[in-house]
Amino acid sequence: MTLTVDVIQLLLLISVAPLLRGIIGRVKARIQNRRGASVFRPYADLRKLFRKEDLVPSTASFLFRFCPVILFAATLAAAAFVPVLHASSLLGNTGDFILLVYLLALARFFLVLGAMDGGSSFGGMGASREALVSTLAEAPLLLGLLAIAIVAHSASIASIVQWTIARQPFELSPVHAFAFVALAMVTIAETGRVPIDNPATHLELTMIHEAMVLEYSGPSLALIEWANAIKLTLMFTLLIAIFAPWGVAASLSFFGIVIAVAAFSVKMAILIVSLAALESSVAKLRMYMVPEYLGVACALSVLAVVFTAFAR
Amino acid sequence: MAELPFNLLLVGLLSASVLALGSVRWKRALAFAAVFLICALVAGAVASLQALAYGNRPAVDLSWFAPLPFVLALDRLSAYFLLLICTVAAPVAIFAIPYVARHYDGRKQSGMWALLPLFLFSMVIVVASDTVFAFLFGWELMTLFSAALVMVDGADGERRRSIFTYLLMMHAGAGAVFGAFLLFLPHSPGLDFASLRASAPLLTNGVRAALFLLAFVGFGTKAGIVPLHLWLPKAHPIAPTPVSALMSGVMLKTAVYGFIRFAFDLLPAGPAWWGYVVLTAGAVSALLGVLFAIAEHDLKRLLAYHSVENIGIIYLGLGAAMVFNSHNAPMWAALALTAALLHSLNHALFKSLLFLGAGAIADAAHTQDMEELGGLLERMRVTGIVFLVACCSIVGLPLFNGFVSEWLTFRSFLAGGELHSVFAAIVLPLGAGVLALVGGLAAACFAKVYGVAFLGRPRSDEAAHAQEVPWAMQAGMSLLAAACVFIGVAPGFVLNLIASAVQELIPGAPAAGLSGSLVQLLPWIAASVAVICIFWLAVPRNTRVTSTWACGLPALDSRMQYTATSFSKPLRKVFSWAYKPDRTVQVLPLDQPCFPASISYRSVRTTSFERAMYRPALDAIVAAAQRLRSTQTGNVQVYLLYLFLALVAALLYMRFA
Amino acid sequence: MGLVVIAAAKTLASSAVFLFITVLLIASAKRTITCITLFAAQCVIITAQIVAMACLRRSGEAVAVAVMVLLVKVVAIPYALLRVSTGLKVSPKVSSATTPAQSAFIAAALILLAFAVVQPYARDFALDSQMLAAATAMVLTGGFLMVSRRKALMQVVGLLVLENGIFLLALTTTFGMPLVIEMGIFFDLLIWVLLVGVFIFRIRETFAHVDVSRLRRLRG
Repeated sequence: MTLTVDVIQLLLLISVAPLLRGIIGRVKARIQNRRGASVFRPYADLRKLFRKEDLVPSTASFLFRFCPVILFAATLAAAAFVPVLHASSLLGNTGDFILLVYLLALARFFLVLGAMDGGSSFGGMGASREALVSTLAEAPLLLGLLAIAIVAHSASIASIVQWTIARQPFELSPVHAFAFVALAMVTIAETGRVPIDNPATHLELTMIHEAMVLEYSGPSLALIEWANAIKLTLMFTLLIAIFAPWGVAASLSFFGIVIAVAAFSVKMAILIVSLAALESSVAKLRMYMVPEYLGVACALSVLAVVFTAFAR
Repeated sequence: MAELPFNLLLVGLLSASVLALGSVRWKRALAFAAVFLICALVAGAVASLQALAYGNRPAVDLSWFAPLPFVLALDRLSAYFLLLICTVAAPVAIFAIPYVARHYDGRKQSGMWALLPLFLFSMVIVVASDTVFAFLFGWELMTLFSAALVMVDGADGERRRSIFTYLLMMHAGAGAVFGAFLLFLPHSPGLDFASLRASAPLLTNGVRAALFLLAFVGFGTKAGIVPLHLWLPKAHPIAPTPVSALMSGVMLKTAVYGFIRFAFDLLPAGPAWWGYVVLTAGAVSALLGVLFAIAEHDLKRLLAYHSVENIGIIYLGLGAAMVFNSHNAPMWAALALTAALLHSLNHALFKSLLFLGAGAIADAAHTQDMEELGGLLERMRVTGIVFLVACCSIVGLPLFNGFVSEWLTFRSFLAGGELHSVFAAIVLPLGAGVLALVGGLAAACFAKVYGVAFLGRPRSDEAAHAQEVPWAMQAGMSLLAAACVFIGVAPGFVLNLIASAVQELIPGAPAAGLSGSLVQLLPWIAASVAVICIFWLAVPRNTRVTSTWACGLPALDSRMQYTATSFSKPLRKVFSWAYKPDRTVQVLPLDQPCFPASISYRSVRTTSFERAMYRPALDAIVAAAQRLRSTQTGNVQVYLLYLFLALVAALLYMRFA
Repeated sequence: MGLVVIAAAKTLASSAVFLFITVLLIASAKRTITCITLFAAQCVIITAQIVAMACLRRSGEAVAVAVMVLLVKVVAIPYALLRVSTGLKVSPKVSSATTPAQSAFIAAALILLAFAVVQPYARDFALDSQMLAAATAMVLTGGFLMVSRRKALMQVVGLLVLENGIFLLALTTTFGMPLVIEMGIFFDLLIWVLLVGVFIFRIRETFAHVDVSRLRRLRG
């Protein structure tokens, strides 16, 4: 039974990922006084791309075709770590946050390699910038999660969630507050959202992710975009699971699951709307301000770790 | 019977060397030498596995040949490092067969094949020694044979300076190691490790601290921790490929072995500050090593700097283990020590693979300069794939071996948060931050290496016409790559071996360790990733080959790609405090700055250590030597005066001291 | 009533954390307007804290103080400062001597220092160590802002943060000063901000900038 719910929540995570993208786009459009496309447009995009033919640059090696699927598989494996509906997940019971973070790193490494295989300067440019952002984002990401793990006396994600549920809601500990701000900042950087990267831009001076996937097309591109959407969903779900898991199903009854789905949707909606509002209200940072941004996140995560020792 | 494989190893190595010397007369002997060498290494691996799994303790007493007790014996720690030497050296030896045949002829060929087994033999003596004399004997031989192997390629100009630096620093380090043992010996009844171990609790704190610091500096020089790393990026790139693979992969680990032997076995239970010293050294080495590597475009130099980084990661594990030991937490100390030991093996595997790959690239494309490479994957598929495996391993990506040891290190830092001491509970978890930053930087660096060397378009004619290397070289590299993937997917086997070694060093360590969750999970993740990949590739799709998007221009050429320099520019800019390059721009002719005929740009990076530490020390030594020269007048009577004064001083000392 | 008490207790328990975060963000903000907004947010947190205290202790005087903090520090002072900063027509940057990341690390270090320093006192006098640390950290960060920022306006913000810290210190150690003194301090502060605002305008008119580090010729 637990296993079934685990599988269902993984499938849920994968399938709603494009929808989240659609909703973010729609909310942004509304904030900017536009009508915006349907929230289901990402699905249509994926369907269209999956039907098209794959264009491969003549200079690319066979690795070029492998990269999207490794990216997708690793992201999928990472998605199997996060609890959505109940305090357990396929891999999150035994697996810890370190493995989760490094699976995302595996995905990113191959995306960067794929970008460099095209042999144009765009790919290299995007790869180089992605290397900068992800390098500096890794330390705050791991430190923030580490602080939570120290407080919860466990590294496995499911037991962190169980520990948090046992706590009282609405009582902030400094560790959680610092870690939350740090992780939220890192999430924005890791998923390539607005002050760090603009998912809508095609201006070579500013783009990171779009420059990396410029040579990809058809099903490969579909896979990359889908994996990217999953990553965004997974990071948000991780934030929810670690900092506000209240509402997940305690017992595996039908009613419990329904409430869990409702609670998850509400929490996700709050995150999505705040992201859309943020993206509409701030400008993209200059490339060399990104280290400053991540430095602030790093300071916050260091504080979170230090407070684990002070606040016990 | 238990001693047979170990004896075979020793005899095999020596006879391989003798056979190779004989090949000057008898050409066939060379092939026999190679076979003997590989068989000996396999026997050595068997011996160490037996020792690790069943607790066999083969011992060989060679005191008949030496003036002082000379005993080789394998306990589990020695056996583990012997395993490391043999598993890495055997594939390297296979690689060396075509490599030596291609690059050398006649006497140099036999010289290489004679020295290689001797170099390995000296390392075997170091890790297997059970007496002080044997250890120091092997330690000294190791330096000399490695230097000799480097000199096979010649020793002129810049190479001579590099070899000189290498020998100088090695002897300074050996001086510290000798000093540590000499300081220890007066307090010990015998010259074997057992009596040292027994007398260690009787030492005063001051002597213990001095011993620790001497051992730390001595072994640290060999291991290449910052700021004692200066010889590494000089010596490794100029060595022949199999030798640089062995030096970086294996020889550095003998220093790690020596340090573990000293800090965990001979002088156990040190105070917490020992651990913090080691942690700091590890953190600084890891961070600066990877930062210097990012700025480097010579493949072998880059790899040499990454050795500094990885030694730093090993020292992070060792330091954490020492801190845990001092706080009476044997379970976590065991975890951290396991991490350090496993990372030693992992680094040996992937770093020697990377060096072999770099050698293969140099053979195929005739350059180690990354800016001249590109597009090699389609031209050298096997080398390309195994090099990718090595890159993923060194970066520490899951499903490859580097991840397992980095994961263990992370988990031990996480456990640091549970310690009662507030200082330890702050410092250890922050070590995880350093490790994460280093991991990120390493990922960026190897994305650069692989992306620039193997992907995209070739940047030179040489690279465009590169040919795959001979099959034996491919086989050697593939064996190492297979080991990387095996440990990465199913680490249980090696972890069990290490657990038995750790139990000997840390009383109260658990047999199984805390790595169970990872051991369970990794095969599943590997299987599911593999299934998804196979599924994706099995689905038929329309694929069309087109040219790369060129913004409407007719075509791109290879000069338009991102280079290694441009790739690393953002990171170099962010971490510019670590580099401090000297830049000079010269515009010619000088009198017409607005209409230059040529502009040249030069950027020299001397590491700040060279400027701030070594340069003043060197100047001081030279100045002192100048002053001492005035005592050397050349007049016989003055020398007689010195003798006379020495005699008087000695008499006075005898009387009053 | 029970719910209100619980809410008040939770507010008291977690307001220190919010204060820490505002301190860090003020230190790493790039624009003066952000700093002023964050200062207002900080004062909102303090107001909430006083209200919570008033609820728990049933004191009417505390409510009066809360209203005054709201009016003076959340509305009047930020409004005046915003007027000044938009009216000046100089660059919106704080022009700091340290980069945002460096400032964040320095602020983090100051928070740690504050925490390490107050812990023994908190233990001896049975006070809330987090709140004491937050107050001390605000004093220290206010000082740091005044030292490192070149804009005259940021000196004002730094001083206000510092004053907030002192106020909070008084609140946590002695549960607030007498109402009359509080009122005096608030009006003092208000007048002071207005005066400095006028003064900054004068500097701008005379020197065409508000960079304090360039006001060197004033020495006699």
